Amino acid sequence: MVPTHYYLILAAIIFSMGALGVLVRRNALIIFMCVEMMLNAVNLTLVALANQWGNLSGQVFVFIVMAVAAAEVAIGLAIVMAIVRHKDTINVEEINLLKW
Amino acid sequence: MSLPTLDFSLILPELVVLITALLVLIADLLWPRAASRGREQAPAVLALAGLILAGLLTLLAGEWSGATLQGMLVADALARYLNLVVLLAAALGLLLSWSYLPHFSTQRSEYYALYLLAVAGMLFLGKSIELITLFVSLEILSIALYVLTGFHRGQLAGGEAALKYFLLGAFSSGFLLYGAALFYAATGATRLADIAAQNAGGFYMLAGLALFLVGLGFKLAVAPFHMWAPDAYQGAPTPVTAFMSVGTKAAALVALFRVVQAAGSVPVGVWATALAFLSLLTMTLGNLAALRQSSLKRMLAYSSIAHAGYLLVGVVAGTAAGFDAVLFYLFAYAFMNIGAFAIASLLERPGFYAVQDAGIHAADGLFGRRPWLAVAMAMFMLSLAGIPPLAGFFGKLYLFAAAVESGWAWLAVAGVLNSVISAYYYLRVVVGMFMAEPSASAHLRLPLPASATLAVALTALGTLLFGLLATPWFQGISR
Amino acid sequence: MDLTTFPLLSLILWLPVLGALALFLFADARSIRVTALVVTLLDFAASLLLLPRWTPDGSMHYQEVLAWAAGLDFRYHLGVDGISLWLVLLTTLLGPIVVLFSWRNVTENVRSFFFLLLIQQAGMLGVFLSLDLILFFIFWEFTLIPMYFLIGQWGSGRRVYAATKFFLYTMAGSALMLVVILLLYFQTGSFNWLTLKEAGLDRTLQFWGFLTFALAFAIKVPMFPFHTWLPDAHVEAPTAGSVILAGVLLKMGVYGFLRFCLPLFPQATAIFLPWIAGLAIVGILYGSLTALVQKDVKSLVAYSSIAHLGFVMLGVASMNEQGLSGAVLQSVNHGLSTGALFLMVGMIYDRRHTRLLAEFGGLWRQMPVYSALFMVVVMASVGLPGLNGFVGEFTILLGAFRVNPLWAALGTLGVILAAWYLLAAVRGLLHGPLDNPANQHLADLDRREVLVLAPLVLLFFLIGLFPALFFDKITPAVELLLRDVGPVIGR
Repeated sequence: MVPTHYYLILAAIIFSMGALGVLVRRNALIIFMCVEMMLNAVNLTLVALANQWGNLSGQVFVFIVMAVAAAEVAIGLAIVMAIVRHKDTINVEEINLLKW
Repeated sequence: MSLPTLDFSLILPELVVLITALLVLIADLLWPRAASRGREQAPAVLALAGLILAGLLTLLAGEWSGATLQGMLVADALARYLNLVVLLAAALGLLLSWSYLPHFSTQRSEYYALYLLAVAGMLFLGKSIELITLFVSLEILSIALYVLTGFHRGQLAGGEAALKYFLLGAFSSGFLLYGAALFYAATGATRLADIAAQNAGGFYMLAGLALFLVGLGFKLAVAPFHMWAPDAYQGAPTPVTAFMSVGTKAAALVALFRVVQAAGSVPVGVWATALAFLSLLTMTLGNLAALRQSSLKRMLAYSSIAHAGYLLVGVVAGTAAGFDAVLFYLFAYAFMNIGAFAIASLLERPGFYAVQDAGIHAADGLFGRRPWLAVAMAMFMLSLAGIPPLAGFFGKLYLFAAAVESGWAWLAVAGVLNSVISAYYYLRVVVGMFMAEPSASAHLRLPLPASATLAVALTALGTLLFGLLATPWFQGISR
Repeated sequence: MDLTTFPLLSLILWLPVLGALALFLFADARSIRVTALVVTLLDFAASLLLLPRWTPDGSMHYQEVLAWAAGLDFRYHLGVDGISLWLVLLTTLLGPIVVLFSWRNVTENVRSFFFLLLIQQAGMLGVFLSLDLILFFIFWEFTLIPMYFLIGQWGSGRRVYAATKFFLYTMAGSALMLVVILLLYFQTGSFNWLTLKEAGLDRTLQFWGFLTFALAFAIKVPMFPFHTWLPDAHVEAPTAGSVILAGVLLKMGVYGFLRFCLPLFPQATAIFLPWIAGLAIVGILYGSLTALVQKDVKSLVAYSSIAHLGFVMLGVASMNEQGLSGAVLQSVNHGLSTGALFLMVGMIYDRRHTRLLAEFGGLWRQMPVYSALFMVVVMASVGLPGLNGFVGEFTILLGAFRVNPLWAALGTLGVILAAWYLLAAVRGLLHGPLDNPANQHLADLDRREVLVLAPLVLLFFLIGLFPALFFDKITPAVELLLRDVGPVIGR
């Protein structure tokens, strides 16, 4: 049996990588992929914990999260498309009409 | 195998909103082509009817005693008040949308359907007492709002706003989700009641709560997670901004309150202190940034951020009185903020391919052009600054009282000083309206669509009277 | 609410608001002015009803209480005693006078102007009548709004700057009061002034309470060095605004010291009394000396306000019977005489649209009635015996002398300086040759303008010759205050 906390640590590492990626990368699609990485890291955590605690709540949660992530993908890509049509770029640093 | 019997009467208002959303979506298809005038107005009318029906159901449904739907959704006093705030904000935003939408889009059904779905998300979020339901509600409301933010496809600012909102929103959802997973790690339960009962304590609960705060803090536009807000507020169609500024905050605050209550094992001092500093940072940053804005909408966006800071003061207080104050303030805030955005929307010069953003000086000389609008806007500005006897003052009074009572007097002092700072930029608008000449390019006779005027009238009345009339009743809502 | 006795104070307080709303029934300027005048006259008459059955025992009279808020227990609680009585009457007296003065010279947005005047009156009355700390705070902050608009819309020149400075400066000063009021509430369980003054608060709370309240009131009075908003606001405001500002709003600061700082925070006040006296004396001297060099007569009167109110605060700092009663009476006197001064400056401005002393001279010949009345008003302000100013100043000096003769000596210096700059103003306006051709055909005061000044001049003599009538009502309240607080302070 692989101890649960191995999974948790792995998931934590993946989550951190994803978070770092969102902050550092400039291509909107890559940022989006990093977000998906974060969500999947959480999925991993949930599945591992569901196994540890022996109830199915975690696994149900994972299904829900996957569905939500799919919805987000649909929306996110549509938004990216809308911008590409105008600016022909998905480099977030170049999309800066609105100043910080 | 038998299916569990679900008491759907507990979520009747939300179901009404959902069904209306679906009806609005297909109404466009089913409406006979011939009647074109009715066809244009039908989605808006239908949506408004749905909101009003949901509101009536909330008000008239008798005592919401706290019965739960399988332990996932609860119908208690807190949810009821949240419903009222969100539905009020939604109805007012809808009135604004009615006249504003034709200027930049012909896709009315989609707009109103998304709008109603966002409302439904908020209502469910207020009722959620279980982690999965909470997450899903939050996502429903967020995704709908991402799309609505970018709805004005003609202008690039809208798309950019939507992208920023989306990326940062999804990012923070990840944090919130991880927080939920850590709660699950600590207790093996996803229902908040079960989590509270376990009284687990320890690293997982603390980390989970922290991540939850990050996720919800983003939604509330709390510093330092506020970066998306000015852009999203500025790029979104103004009615969406108006609705979003109140609705999301209200729903997220209720969720925050419930989660914090459930995480009772985490020592209060720890999270309260963290929130107190976040509140201080938010208030100060929001107010100082607002001082330097040249766009009216962006100034109002930073003012919204500052108000999130004030609202957090009530949560920091940690008492039932504190959260009652938050609810009171949310009502007052709905009136004054949506009113301010309403007038900002009237001052814009909408065009199908671009909206000329209303600068700070767009309101100059408004008293000469449309005196009652200027008076209303003055009331909104003064109320946002917290001047008696307007609603904003009473809201701040209750918030700061709760803080002082719980020993957070320094936070109350910070809040009060921040109100003085904010008075400076609110007064700037008032000065422009009453004491300056209109700029050359301004409309001489501002067009006043009926629905927007109604929204302004309602919000003005609310700002004036809510503080005085509602104070006798606001007590004992939060447990 | 105790309905067995007629709610006279509520009537006085809300009548102007009803009047303000009634203004919306009319569209033409004339009806609006008449309505405003009628309402303010009725309000004054109602406030006169406070006098007949007044028992001079220092307690709070005509109290009304109405509990209305859940959660925080703040109430609608009104009351009037010897300290606030004459201030209320001053406010209601200045109402119709100001309305009558503005009869012809407000031509734009007439309805807004009188609306703002009326709600300003209600706000100021609310400050003097509130016995609940939150209610007091609400009215205190509220009075900023109408005055802000009055200065900003109908003022002259740099009116926007003056109005904004006035608003933000005053708001900043009073903002912290709210937190202290809340702290007091959670310490003692009540916002009721009557309860709080018996409460006996601990030293730290008193210290901070005094500092925050004193800051707010010192800005309002205004005391040096928080006075910088005043000259701008006074000079740029329309005459009606200046009269109300000088006549009533500044008194709210003095009232605040007497009503709140002293009874609620006695030990802290005792520590700071010498500071108050010091700043008061600086105010007297600074105000007088600056007034001497002013070229604009309205500016001169504005600085004279700082000097006169320095006198009043000297009386407050003396913390004995003479000092305090003198302070209360002199506040009223200042309201009357400086109000009259601003009115007279306004009358000149209406004719010539300038306020520079250099532009005038020799008006004695051209406008004899004006000049005569101007002399009377100046004498009242200087403190000529027989007029009201003398009574107030003398009583204050008596009180100050008992504490420290040096204070009295410096105060007397202030009296001398006042004579100097005011007579300089007289010389600049009235004496000398009538050599400016623009002045040679000025009309003298018409009936309306005499009517505006008459009540004030009458009161100058009434208070000056029969001061006991007024002191009778003030002294018991002051004695009660000193009885409660004196042992703590050591007087």
